[in-house]
Amino acid sequence: MIIKDWCLYCGECAGVCAFEAITVHEVKIEIDDEKCTNCGVCIKACPVNALESED
Amino acid sequence: MTIKTDILVVGAGPAGSSAAKHAAKHGVEVVMIDRKSEIGSPKRCAEGASKESLEELGIKPNPRWIARELSGVRLVAPDQTSVWLDENTIKLPEAGYVLERKVFDKHMAMDAARVGTKIMIRTEAVSLKRTDDGFSVEIETMGKKDTIETKMIIAADGPESRIGRMAGLKCNTPLENMESGIQYEMAGLEMENNNCIQFYFGSVAPGGYAWIFPKGDDIANVGLGILTDKADKTAKEYLDDFVKNCPETKNAQAVEMNVGGVPVGGVVEESVGDNIIVVGDAAGHTNPFTGGGINSSLESGVYAGTIAAGAIQEGDCSKFNLKDFEKLVNEGPASQFEAYIKAKDYLLTLDDDEFNKIAEEFAKADLDRISPKTLIKLLIKVSPKALLKLGKLF
Repeated sequence: MIIKDWCLYCGECAGVCAFEAITVHEVKIEIDDEKCTNCGVCIKACPVNALESED
Repeated sequence: MTIKTDILVVGAGPAGSSAAKHAAKHGVEVVMIDRKSEIGSPKRCAEGASKESLEELGIKPNPRWIARELSGVRLVAPDQTSVWLDENTIKLPEAGYVLERKVFDKHMAMDAARVGTKIMIRTEAVSLKRTDDGFSVEIETMGKKDTIETKMIIAADGPESRIGRMAGLKCNTPLENMESGIQYEMAGLEMENNNCIQFYFGSVAPGGYAWIFPKGDDIANVGLGILTDKADKTAKEYLDDFVKNCPETKNAQAVEMNVGGVPVGGVVEESVGDNIIVVGDAAGHTNPFTGGGINSSLESGVYAGTIAAGAIQEGDCSKFNLKDFEKLVNEGPASQFEAYIKAKDYLLTLDDDEFNKIAEEFAKADLDRISPKTLIKLLIKVSPKALLKLGKLF
């Protein structure tokens, strides 16, 4: 998953992630590649389109 | 360094500060952490709150955190047909004040500090593990790692609800119950009535609504929430279109952008576990119809803090002993949530034409006082399916 620089760290992606793969810090997002299944739910949830799948 | 405490509150929003205050008041040790450097900022909220329920909670109104006092509501259909309601006509769950959350949240945290809460800002919970009598929580403050040994956790960490999940609770919000929200704080609005909060329904915000909450004569929070599985654009694209097309906002300028998720599925499956209570947005303590959560979070926070302090004093922080929290929330702030979910589900079935027709009927009706009964009667007149969906609601 690629996080664009216009991300506002609101954490909506982490809230909808069923695999607890996303950690939001004050100004940083961390995605655990081992937990991420590429399901794309976070991409849909993002209000500002700041997430993109790598494939 | 290891810090020992009775209760660790994660997140210093309205739910966390209220819980911390009411726990500390009972003489137990409370530490509250927040990952942000400024409590209350950036806001993720339209800032509407009920005047009445703030009073009921004993929170004295302070002009420093009240941006505007409002007297009415305007509901707007897709064809701009408007229904104007005032305080005497209808009791709305989140009406009365538009707050300045940046100031309000800080004041709530200060109140918690005044009764003995230790506050650590710019501090996040990294991981946690269970111990014999509670949790050991690894925290990080600007690169420095410490451990907090606590008997209880109150998780008030917002819609991400990470802490509850880390402790093994079923408390996540699936995509279909999470509104994707975005808002601009704008200046230069030309509002027909700047003392009314406004809701715009229909395809402007699929699965949700758009709002204008005035904060000044020409200042307002302008935003919307959508359910992304009913939408074909991002929330930001919907909002930019709304701002461009709405006569009141088309000449306004944004000075701030806020984004965030709003849980609208009702209270989560598990909000208590051994040594842990989940509260506020993290527990789905938001009105499933309006998405408003300030009042319900503050009230649920009172229960969380009081129950947690009691459990510490009794020396029993088991899930069983904390169960009363769920009961108090379900009988209190969440008592109408089931009805609001049904109302929301009904709204989700309406298209723009139906919204227009309903608004027309309402505008004609000239209602002195709307009771749920007259409301449903009117709805059934316009769309018979309301009978099926809402008939036995109230």
